[in-house]
Amino acid sequence: MEAKQYIGEGWKHAILIIGAIVVMLPFYMMVSMSLKSQQEIQSISGGLIGAQETQTFPVCVKTGYSEDTCTMKPYQYNYWFAFEKAPIPRYLMNGVIVTLSIFIIQVLVALPCAYALAKLRFYGREFVFSMVLFCLLIPVHGIALPLYVMLAQAGLVDTYSALILPWTISVFGIFLMRQFFMTVPDELIDAARMDGMGEYAIVWKVMLPTAIPALLAFAIFSVVAHWNDYFWPRMVITGNRDLFTPPLGIREFRGGIDSDEFGPMMASIVTVTVPLIVAFIIAQKRFIEGITLTGMK
Amino acid sequence: MHNSKAHIWFIAPAIILMIIILIFPLFLAGGISFTDYNLGNKTFEWVGLENYDKMFNRKTYVKMIWATATYVIVVVPISVVLGLCAAMLLNSLRFGADIYKTIFFLPVMATLLAMAIAWEFTLHPTLGIVNSFLANGCGGVREFILGFHWLPWVDSQESWYAVACANNMDFPYWLKQKNTAIWTVCFIGIWQAFGFNMVLYLAGLTGIPRELYQAAEMDGAKSTWEQFKLVTWPMLGPTTLFVVTITTIRTFQVFDTIEILTKGGPSKTTYVMMYAIFEKAIQQNLTSIGAAITVVFIGFILVLTFFQRYVIEKRVHY
Repeated sequence: MEAKQYIGEGWKHAILIIGAIVVMLPFYMMVSMSLKSQQEIQSISGGLIGAQETQTFPVCVKTGYSEDTCTMKPYQYNYWFAFEKAPIPRYLMNGVIVTLSIFIIQVLVALPCAYALAKLRFYGREFVFSMVLFCLLIPVHGIALPLYVMLAQAGLVDTYSALILPWTISVFGIFLMRQFFMTVPDELIDAARMDGMGEYAIVWKVMLPTAIPALLAFAIFSVVAHWNDYFWPRMVITGNRDLFTPPLGIREFRGGIDSDEFGPMMASIVTVTVPLIVAFIIAQKRFIEGITLTGMK
Repeated sequence: MHNSKAHIWFIAPAIILMIIILIFPLFLAGGISFTDYNLGNKTFEWVGLENYDKMFNRKTYVKMIWATATYVIVVVPISVVLGLCAAMLLNSLRFGADIYKTIFFLPVMATLLAMAIAWEFTLHPTLGIVNSFLANGCGGVREFILGFHWLPWVDSQESWYAVACANNMDFPYWLKQKNTAIWTVCFIGIWQAFGFNMVLYLAGLTGIPRELYQAAEMDGAKSTWEQFKLVTWPMLGPTTLFVVTITTIRTFQVFDTIEILTKGGPSKTTYVMMYAIFEKAIQQNLTSIGAAITVVFIGFILVLTFFQRYVIEKRVHY
């Protein structure tokens, strides 16, 4: 019996390891290419990190740098040249600005509304809630075109507003917070009222702190979705590099800069992809919780 | 009723935004789809159903429906089943489950666009490790396994692998070939989606009480398969329903991989709806036909979710 169980366990691991290898393939390729020299990439040699021989890079010299500057190890060159060629910090900055603005506005709008729907009794509450339920069915990407037409008419294409505005309302956020607030005991709110707190103070000083766990999960959900979103920025940002979000930057690296040199291109892509992956590996539990949040009943 | 009017200030911003950002665009798309309006035009004319007529009769749009349907019908079931299998495997492991979970979840987290480019190189005919792995395996175990030579009805000289080996390592140019492009894109879709489904199933599995398995065993369901049929699968009903719905909606919206890898080609085999909307309305400025596609797209999604919510939901809840 014992031996049989070990064999079973072994088989399971064998299957899972094969799966893991397939899943990791593109990650391996990405990291490997960002470290190796062009020759090694083209001849598919050098394993993961390549030989790392110090050499002079012709594309770099052609761009106008001195030979001295252009002589280094492949991994140094790839990452250095990537940053020389494209304003990567700017793209990352834009990503931070857009995702944070979206999240903050979403909370400012959703939290009071969720509180009202969960804890205040007023005429039309059921109607508002059913409106929320209906809006949950509408995928924002699906209505991207009419939104784009509206923004174009308002002259907002190629602005930060265009990147942020359509996402300011998160009906999912309202729904989630409402469900969460339903579980908060009324006594807590009554006590706050007895202490003379107004409704505004209750929302921000009583309800907000109790909602931190749900809010954190929602933050991860929202930030990951909008950091990775490519479709919407692609629609509304047409050419202004200063407004590029990380995915738009990635697209530019691929098409624009020296497409005959893959190392620096992959280095840019790794740089842009890494922050989120590192954050994920550090706070895995929270991330998985946040992203699968939509699965909560 | 407390404190009078506070609620109005609480709900007003949300209501206004819902109307402007979510509800009004539905009507706008509907309206535009009956006109010949293009962005930038000063005037427009009502053209009735002309745009819809084009959509269902012109070859391009028929191909669009096919490509979208193929993608959804392939990716959803496979990624759901893979997610379930992975979850059950992990659940039965004695050690190491967390590592696999992290790895399988990575594609869900990583910027899809970046991963699409990484896949493009991985599958590249001269630079990619996939084709070099295949080429190095000619005449060996890899050919035997991946060429399906172990199946009795596959001729080991005629399998796709053997033919490619014989023709000077002529392995597919996965993303550029008419007969492989859509399947390759589907594969990347599955690769990206199954980890998400796995995590949802893992959560579902922890919700099944142990006693049910003991009870099933007492009733004579001894084998793993019988227990799965009797306990696991029915108990996972609500999870499955949810997983299928959410995966379908996400799958319908595929765009990133198509735009970066195939641009809808070759010969429109990967011309999915979101890409069609983008190409027609934004790149070619044919707003009205884009609006018609939008309406059909939203129609699909709404019908699907209504179906899930009000028809099936009643049957799977125990």
